[in-house]
Amino acid sequence: MKEIIAPLSKLLSSKEISSVELTEKYISEIEKDNKKFNAYVSTTFDKAIENAKVADSMIANGTATALTGIPMTLKDNICSDGDLTTCCSKILEGFRPYYDSTVWSKLKSQGAVMLGKTNMDEFAMGSTSETSCYGAPLNPRNVNHVTGGSSGGGASAVCANLAAYALGSDTGGSVRQPASFCGIVGLKPTYGAVSRYGLIAYGSSLDQIGVLANSVKDTATVFDAISGVDANDQTSVDFRFGNISDSLGQSDVKGLRIGIAKEYFEGINPELKDAIDSAVKFFEDNGAEIIDISLPVLKQALPVYYIIACAEASSNLGRYDGIRYGYRTENFNDVEEMILKTRTEGFGDEVKRRIMLGTYVLSSGYYDAYYKKACLLRENLIADFDEIFNTCDVLIAPTAPNTAFPLNFTGASPVDMYLSDIATVPINITGVPAISVPIKNDSNGLPIGMQIIGKKFSEKTIMNTAYFYEKNAQIGVEDFDGGVVL
Amino acid sequence: MSYQLVCGIETHIELATKTKIFCGCTTQFGGEPNTHCCPVCTGQPGALPVLNKQVIEYAVRAGLAVHCDINNNSHMDRKNYVYPDLPKAYQISQFDEPVCINGYVELDSGKKIRIERIHIEEDAGKLVHENGYTYVDYNRGGVPLIEIVSMADIETPEEAREYAEKLQLIMRNVGVSDCKMQEGSMRCDVNVSIHQPNEPWGTRTEIKNINSLSNIVRAMELEMERQEDILDSGEKVIQSTMRYDANSDTVYVLRSKENADDYRYFPEPDILRFYISPEMVESIRASLPELPDDKLKRYLAMGLPENNARLIYKYRNVTKFFDDTVAEGVGASNVLNMIIGPIFATLQTEEDKENFAIKTTSSQLAALVKLIDDGKIRANKAKEVLSQMLESGKDVTEYIKAEDLAGLSDDDLKALCQGAIDANPKAVEDIKNGKDKAINVMFGYIMKNSRGKADVKKAETIIRELIG
Amino acid sequence: MITKDEVLKLAALARLDFSDDELDKIIKDMDDIIAFADTINNSVEGDADKIRNVSSKATPAEEFREDVVKDSLPNEKILSNVNGSKGMFCVKGGI
Ligand SMILES: [Mg+2]
Ligand SMILES: [Zn+2]
Repeated sequence: MKEIIAPLSKLLSSKEISSVELTEKYISEIEKDNKKFNAYVSTTFDKAIENAKVADSMIANGTATALTGIPMTLKDNICSDGDLTTCCSKILEGFRPYYDSTVWSKLKSQGAVMLGKTNMDEFAMGSTSETSCYGAPLNPRNVNHVTGGSSGGGASAVCANLAAYALGSDTGGSVRQPASFCGIVGLKPTYGAVSRYGLIAYGSSLDQIGVLANSVKDTATVFDAISGVDANDQTSVDFRFGNISDSLGQSDVKGLRIGIAKEYFEGINPELKDAIDSAVKFFEDNGAEIIDISLPVLKQALPVYYIIACAEASSNLGRYDGIRYGYRTENFNDVEEMILKTRTEGFGDEVKRRIMLGTYVLSSGYYDAYYKKACLLRENLIADFDEIFNTCDVLIAPTAPNTAFPLNFTGASPVDMYLSDIATVPINITGVPAISVPIKNDSNGLPIGMQIIGKKFSEKTIMNTAYFYEKNAQIGVEDFDGGVVL
Repeated sequence: MSYQLVCGIETHIELATKTKIFCGCTTQFGGEPNTHCCPVCTGQPGALPVLNKQVIEYAVRAGLAVHCDINNNSHMDRKNYVYPDLPKAYQISQFDEPVCINGYVELDSGKKIRIERIHIEEDAGKLVHENGYTYVDYNRGGVPLIEIVSMADIETPEEAREYAEKLQLIMRNVGVSDCKMQEGSMRCDVNVSIHQPNEPWGTRTEIKNINSLSNIVRAMELEMERQEDILDSGEKVIQSTMRYDANSDTVYVLRSKENADDYRYFPEPDILRFYISPEMVESIRASLPELPDDKLKRYLAMGLPENNARLIYKYRNVTKFFDDTVAEGVGASNVLNMIIGPIFATLQTEEDKENFAIKTTSSQLAALVKLIDDGKIRANKAKEVLSQMLESGKDVTEYIKAEDLAGLSDDDLKALCQGAIDANPKAVEDIKNGKDKAINVMFGYIMKNSRGKADVKKAETIIRELIG
Repeated sequence: MITKDEVLKLAALARLDFSDDELDKIIKDMDDIIAFADTINNSVEGDADKIRNVSSKATPAEEFREDVVKDSLPNEKILSNVNGSKGMFCVKGGI
């Protein structure tokens, strides 16, 4: 896979191109191609040029960092001061936060250039990005297919070279799954590794900001820039990762203990299973030790995830009442009616379903049977993962049981769609990090992703493992031809 | 028919922290609307709460002051309900692991009103209704509160008032809150139910947000009457939330709770569980000042008259001044009289007494009282001097001249007494006939001619000797 | 099976309104989703009652935020996403 960030940075530092010129290239490609992919839902081109000017002066005065002058994008649920941030929901119509998220303020201070906000499932609730109020983003690999979700716009933009990298959010797979669908790299960091301040909440105990990029190296560079403890997020953790980007390639996989849980491969498309098997074989051939393990609780992970995520969402989304920001209904007689109509008109069906389920599992009489039980099972899953990581350095699993769905694919019920998150949600429930890397295309030419999972704060290990694969294995997913190509 | 009252009180007290519970905004009262606000306390999407540790410390302090046990492990929960003054549509509060449990407040009768729990939570904003519009101001939103929940041990409105007053006193004394009911920094929700003796408890109603001690009594009396009327007419009391309106002196139903609220509490995922170590608890306990009840007991043990001691024991600054003055080795009773006399004359309101801004010092008062103790001036003269000192801020020595302090020799006093007898033959006659009060006329003469220096007690003895 | 009354009660708590048609649909969806959620009660081998409380480590209270005032934001910012009035958020009608 192609590295983009370091080569662009080199061009910038050697003054072969200025950040303003580079930014203008991206802007003109977005203006040309965004209608094809619907990746961006709002653009901040004026701000991008301003960011680029700052970057150029940083380059000129020698204060540039690895990301200075590189154009990127934020998911539409990550706040930046004065810019539209709507979670692709009508209820946040016109909403411009008046503060910066911690991730954006970190990147901005390092000279990043923000092109705009990218498409997503409404409030990150979905696996295809089709619940967006702006319509679905399309998969650059095949525009008749979805990008996956919920960070589908970011995956689409990065794949189509309409941004050098994107920040997304991953509550149950929303960075990794679209990355796998679009044939790029997606990292879901350890819960607490990256500040959530300014990320509009879906499921607070599961949400984590992640990176979508074209290569493991790019991913590591961005992770290095955004990770770290934050006084504005008490759940962020002061863990010193060191510079992971520089550490890549310094180790091989000899002696690496790779766990394979058989439950991860039950009910998976055989084509995907074969692809993962051969990737595992590659590691084995290079000296890794493959350990077969069993994780029976994985079967419960999916309902546990939906119960906890929806419970938290039902609470997090209570604040959209039309009083302080966003959409407000036209006709009403009193405040109560205004709130009811605003929410009824402002939220889409999937969001309403999840709010209703969340309200149900928390309501008196059901709390113990659902929410509390789910929290206890979550503890079990965490304990099981802890045990596994006593004997394994990483786990390898598919990112999704399938490749990108065709557009407008609907199962028999909402639950059918939930089932496709089976491989990604355990990671959020247990808070561990995982990275999805492309391995090959399926017979329809759609990319297949592999998940490399590690214990908490083992980002360095999983990224080094992914990097080794990316550098040395035969990857059957081509670079996308289009957008800003150097 | 005679009914029995069952009453418990939930008291919300705003803590005296500098910043709000989850953000760095000031807790200052007042201010232009929505100027003490930020993304966190207005519930902006993406903002996260960051718990203020002073809130935990104050809650522990409050709990220890009312004999609570402290939960070493504690966490915040979300209480979900929709109201425009609550910007996140949930209040971050505590449900099943409050900071404090199992305490009590002791009434003067010795009866203990048990405290079930004290938890920490955030205050809501303020709604203003004006010409058909609803306005919202979030300045108060996120101000830290403790909620003190009593058991239903209260049996009369007067006990309710005393309980609330004691709480107010204790919380002020340990410095966790100014507990100003008029400004809303202390608010009481009073649960009232009545029942016939030996019958099960009745349905309770909750009178919300009562904002003065006297209103507690009045609101409860009215609500008890209302419930009695309902029961006497064979109807049932409906569980409901009530308001007391002081202007019209009425209680009315705000909303009935037929559709019981379902707050869907669950642990707040944005705030870490916290651990209050036994060491932290003990260091807070060690820093607690003497509590008002203990102070009163100490004063009574010093031999001070109870009704006088009661006039000062509640005020932190007053008692400090008293204790400091007495510590200089002068008579406690005389000090107390100086405080409840001339000093309190300049401190009319409760607030004045709380603030205790006076123009003299404990050393100055001690110097003055020493003169009384030594019989060098009379108490009344000292009070006059003190009044002047309080007005001017000048020292005792500015008012008491050396000649005043010299006192009268026994001979001089005896001469003066003789003079008084000579000048008042009528009074002498009266005294001889057993009219003791007539001696006051003599005192007047002696005081006038000694410019207030004479010791009246001594003079009386001398006069009675001389008259024979 | 969830009843219509239960769904209406949940909708009231969540401040959502469903038309009659939508109500049929949401009742059906809720049934499906709850049946799915119920699968947490399907026993998993070796899992029966082994609840291990591993993530409940508490943070010392001393490590929480210091009580130091930071500047609040100007009123115009606070009201920048709404047509406020008199410095306040404002909605026509009572409550
Ligand atoms: Mg409360
Ligand atoms: Zn604030």
